[in-house]
Amino acid sequence: MRAIDAGLLICHECHQLNPHKPDEEKQFCVRCGGHLHARRPNSLARTWALLISAALLYIPANLLPIMTVNSLGKGQSDTIMSGVIELVNYGMLPIAAVVFIASILVPTFKLVGIALLLYSVQRHQPMSARQRVLMYRFIEWIGRWSMLDIFVIAILVAVVNFGSLASIVPGYGATAFASVVVLTMLAALTFDPRLIWDNTKSDDDHE
Amino acid sequence: MAEPASSDNLPALEFERLIACHECDLLLRKPLTSAGEKVECPRCGYELYTHRSQVVRRSLALVITALLLYLPANFLPIMQLNLLGQVTEDTVWSGVLGLYSSGMQSIAVVVFLCSMAVPLLKLLCQFAVLLSIRLDIGRSYGLLLYRIYHHMREWGMLEVYLMGILVAIVKLVDLADLSIGLGLFCFIALLLVQIWLEVTMSPHQIWEALSGEDKHACD
Ligand SMILES: [Zn+2]
Ligand SMILES: [Zn+2]
Repeated sequence: MRAIDAGLLICHECHQLNPHKPDEEKQFCVRCGGHLHARRPNSLARTWALLISAALLYIPANLLPIMTVNSLGKGQSDTIMSGVIELVNYGMLPIAAVVFIASILVPTFKLVGIALLLYSVQRHQPMSARQRVLMYRFIEWIGRWSMLDIFVIAILVAVVNFGSLASIVPGYGATAFASVVVLTMLAALTFDPRLIWDNTKSDDDHE
Repeated sequence: MAEPASSDNLPALEFERLIACHECDLLLRKPLTSAGEKVECPRCGYELYTHRSQVVRRSLALVITALLLYLPANFLPIMQLNLLGQVTEDTVWSGVLGLYSSGMQSIAVVVFLCSMAVPLLKLLCQFAVLLSIRLDIGRSYGLLLYRIYHHMREWGMLEVYLMGILVAIVKLVDLADLSIGLGLFCFIALLLVQIWLEVTMSPHQIWEALSGEDKHACD
């Protein structure tokens, strides 16, 4: 059985069980003082809102240049994709693969994955609880790695700073991309994984 | 493995002897754990807790090491680049400054938070929490700081930054004369110590020690 059915609330922060007092408007954890909720309030609506904002910013993040390389008066703008292609042309396939996975596959997968997770929790379709849980854990774990390109830009801007000889300037694509990463991470955090199990038929279907 | 608690024997069990899975809300009987044992949720497989020995003493040693490495890791040069006699240096801090001065204040703030501020605040919170357990003072502040620590966990990204350094090195190595600085080794050391610390400081033992439920939780 679930803790919620036994009249117990689990603290989000320290995982302590607290007896539910329905007559109290706000309840706090006896151990750490954290705010108690049976489920995170408006988890689905908030996650959708964050996800949609991230999806909108995803477009400029991929179209606008993330940085411009100025060398001897010539400027060359790089988008996320052209950066990967350039690495492939240099023959650095393993690094190109890492950047491709971190900056293109992961953000796309996260947007689609969270949307699928929300849809399947709301419509009780089309994934089993086990698949949803694996998806949720993967998204939660992988999210931070998309920040890779932002850190690369920070390092390149600092180190390639030779005045008119050669310099690198960040572009607005980078701002949009950083926002996408932060918003999708927030979306994964607002999503309450217990909702995944709430609408499965039996709570003992773990076999 | 922990056993699910069913409704027929529930009234007999006090809720102090139960735990619930944080990820799926399944109610379980609190298992008796000995050192080195891992407890997983039978339904969703979430790792409920691991019991380790000498948590506080080991974690304190690690947290102090990490704090000592923090300054050299962030302010010593990670790499130096030589282009036709002009030499530039890169540190974690100069990366933030470079973004800031090129008009990208918002990304500069994000990079500063994820690579410098959050990792430091996390270490300081862990240090204060461990001291409060060790010296038996200020437990309520310890609880608050440990809660703050858990909210920051997701946002410290040292391992991603290290991957960023590697990608940047690969991109630059053909363009100019590149040499690796001492800062990179300090940064790697800081990252390793921090990962070791997170593995050592098992949260449920720290919570129990902070709330004084179990005097021997951290032996
Ligand atoms: Zn709590
Ligand atoms: Zn579970």
